[in-house]
Amino acid sequence: MFNYTFHWHQALRALPQLLEGALVTLEIALLSMVIGMVCAMALTLFRLSGNRFLGAIAITWVEIARNTPALFQIYMAHFGLGNFGIHLSPYAALLAGITFNNAGYLAENFRGALKAIPETQTRAARSLGMTPLQAFRLIVVPQMLRVAFLPMTNQMVWAILMTSLGVTVGMNTDLAGVTQDLNARSFRTFEFFAIAAVIFYLMTKAVTLLARLIAWRLFRY
Amino acid sequence: MRSAILVLGLMAATAVGTVARADKLDDIIASGTLRCAVVLDFPPMGSRDADNNPIGFDVDYCNDLAAALGVTAEIVETPFPERIPALMSGRVDVGVASTSDTLERAKTVGFSIPYFAFENVVTANVNSGVTSFDTMRGKVIGATAGTYEAIAIEEQIAAWGGEGEFRPYQTQSDVFLALSQGQIDATVSTSTVAQANVKSGNFADIAVVGPAPFATDYVALFTLREEYGFLNYLNLFVSQQVRTGRYAELYEKWIGGDLPDLTIDGVYR
Amino acid sequence: MIDTALTLNDLLFLAKGAGMTLAVTGVSVAAGTILGIAFGVFRTQFGPWWSMPLTFLLDVFRSVPLLIQLVLANAFQSIAQLGWGPFVTSCVVLSLYTAAYCTEIVRGGIEAVPSTTRRAARSLGLTWGQDMRYIVAPLATRVSLPAWIGLTLGVMKDSALVLWLGLTELLKASQTLITRLQEPLLILLICGAIYFLLSFPIARLGGYLERRWSPND
Repeated sequence: MFNYTFHWHQALRALPQLLEGALVTLEIALLSMVIGMVCAMALTLFRLSGNRFLGAIAITWVEIARNTPALFQIYMAHFGLGNFGIHLSPYAALLAGITFNNAGYLAENFRGALKAIPETQTRAARSLGMTPLQAFRLIVVPQMLRVAFLPMTNQMVWAILMTSLGVTVGMNTDLAGVTQDLNARSFRTFEFFAIAAVIFYLMTKAVTLLARLIAWRLFRY
Repeated sequence: MRSAILVLGLMAATAVGTVARADKLDDIIASGTLRCAVVLDFPPMGSRDADNNPIGFDVDYCNDLAAALGVTAEIVETPFPERIPALMSGRVDVGVASTSDTLERAKTVGFSIPYFAFENVVTANVNSGVTSFDTMRGKVIGATAGTYEAIAIEEQIAAWGGEGEFRPYQTQSDVFLALSQGQIDATVSTSTVAQANVKSGNFADIAVVGPAPFATDYVALFTLREEYGFLNYLNLFVSQQVRTGRYAELYEKWIGGDLPDLTIDGVYR
Repeated sequence: MIDTALTLNDLLFLAKGAGMTLAVTGVSVAAGTILGIAFGVFRTQFGPWWSMPLTFLLDVFRSVPLLIQLVLANAFQSIAQLGWGPFVTSCVVLSLYTAAYCTEIVRGGIEAVPSTTRRAARSLGLTWGQDMRYIVAPLATRVSLPAWIGLTLGVMKDSALVLWLGLTELLKASQTLITRLQEPLLILLICGAIYFLLSFPIARLGGYLERRWSPND
C-alpha cells in the first residue's frame, strides 16, 4: 500500500534548527500574552468607564477579534496595514495579529470574571477608605485574575498554536516557518511536519503543566 | 488426479501473476483524463483570467500533453507547497508547475528533462535605492518560499555576511504585493514572472533593475519517481514540443523575446 | 463612491468562497459533534482510566496547530494513497478537531447533571438509556449549548486554514482576487465583513442562550 519510504534520518538532522524555531515560537506567544493582557485590561476598563466612545472602541475590538479568523487578522496586519504604508516585519505582524486576537478574547474573559465578583466587595473596600482605583486594583483585579486564570492558560496555548500562521506573512524563524522552509527544499512534508507536531505538543503540555503549578502555588488556601 | 489439480492451479497462479501490471501511462489513457498540477498565481506560467478560469503557459502545456495522449486535460490548482502531496496522493498524474529539478527534490519525485528555463532578475521597489544585484546587500529581500531563487538568495545573503534580511512568502503574488507596498526592498524572481507582473500595471512603484547572477533555473515536469514508462513519455513529449516548434509558439504567446535554450553545454541532460 | 475594478462576477466568486467555508464547516461540525457526543459519553461512562488512550488522542488534536494537522493529514493520505481530495482531507481533519473539543463540552455537560438526579431517575426504574435520554440529555444540552455554539464559530474561523490545501474558501478567494485586482485593503475588508456577518449573529445567539439558561445570573 505504501509507495513511500520515510527519510527520518535526514529529517532528524534538522532537529537543532527546529528547536531554535520552537524558542522563537515560545517568545512570540509569551510576548503576545503579556501585551495582550495589558490591552485586555485597558479594554475592560474602557467598558466599565461608562464613556460611550471608549466603550465603542472596546466593543469593536472585541467583536472583530472574536468574529474573524486569526489568519485573517495576521494577514491584515501585514498586507492590510502595508496598504497605508505602515510596514510591520513578519515578526511584528505576527505578534500584532496574535496580540490583537488575545486581547479580544482575554477582555471577554475578564468581563466574565468581573461578574463573578460581588458588587458588595467594591462597596466594602470603598467604605474602608480606598479610592475607586485602589479598590479596583487591590480587591477586584486579584480576584478577577484568579477566576480568569484557567481561560488565560487556554489562551496561552492558543497563542502558541496561532504562531504557526506566521508562515503566510513571510515568517521563517518560528517553528512552523522553519518546518515549511525545510519542507519546501526537500519535499519531505510528512517527516518534517510530524517532528514539528511533536514539538508543538510538548510545548503546549509544558505550558499547561507550568500553569497548573503556578495556580497551585498562588491559589491554595 | 490430485497432481493434475495442483498443476492446473499452479498454471492459473502463474497466469494471474504474469498479467502485466498497468502503469501510470496505461492508467491515464484508460481513464481518459490527464490531471495536471498547475500553480495559478505564477503569471505568465499560470494565472486566472477575468472569469477566474485558469490560463497560462503551463495550462497550455498540460493541454498539449493531454492531446498527445488522446485524453482530456484537467487542471488542478495547487499552491506551491501542495504540488508534491497532490502527486503522491494520486490526485494528479503529472506536475506542470514550473518546478526546478533540484537534486534534493529528485530524492522524492521523478523529473523529466527540462521543459522550460528561467533566468532570474532583480525587481525592486523604486523607492528602495536598489539598482542592481549588488546594491541589494543589506536590504530586505523577498522571494517565494522554497523556490530555486529563494534558496539562492538566502545563500547569497549568508555570503554577504548576513547583512540584510530574507523573507519567504508562500505565493508569488504575495511577494509582489509586499514589494509594491514597500514591505520588502527587492525580490529575485524568474524574469518571465517579473516582466509579467511589471507589465500588468497592477503594482505601483516596481521595476526590473537587472539580472541576478544565478545559474539558469531549469524546470521540469514531474511524476512519481518509479513511473519510468511515463517519465520516458514525458521526456519524448518535451523533445517533440521543441522539434515541432510548439514550444517556440507557446513562448511567443505567453512571454515573447529570445527563446531560452533547454540544453546544457557539455553534458547530456 | 469607491473607485474599484471589483465586478459583480468577483463578488459572486467571493460568495462561492463563503459557500465553501460554510460547506466545510457544516460537514465538520456535524460529524465532529456526533463523534464528540459518542466520545464524551464513552469518557464519562468508562472513567478516566479506561478512556486514557482516547483522552490522549483527542488531546493531541487540541495541542498541535490546525495548520500542521492539515498538512500532516494531507501528506499522510498521499503516502497511504487514499486519493482524498482537499475537501475530504479538510473535512476529516476538521471533524476530528471539532470532536476533540466537543468531547470536553459533552463531558462537562454530563458531569454537570447532579448524580443524585440520575440516581433518583434510575431508582424510579428508568433504564440507562432512558436516563440518558430523558434526564441527562435535556439538562446537559442546556449547559453545553453555548460552548458548542462557540466551538462551531471557532471551527468556521479555523476553516480558513484549508486554503493551504488548495481549497478555494473565502480567504483564498479573496487572495485570488487580490492577485488579479491589486486592491488588498478593500478586498480584505469585504472578506472580513463576510466572516463577521456569518459569525456575529450566531455568537449573539450563543450569548443570549448563555444568559437565559445560566441559573444564577
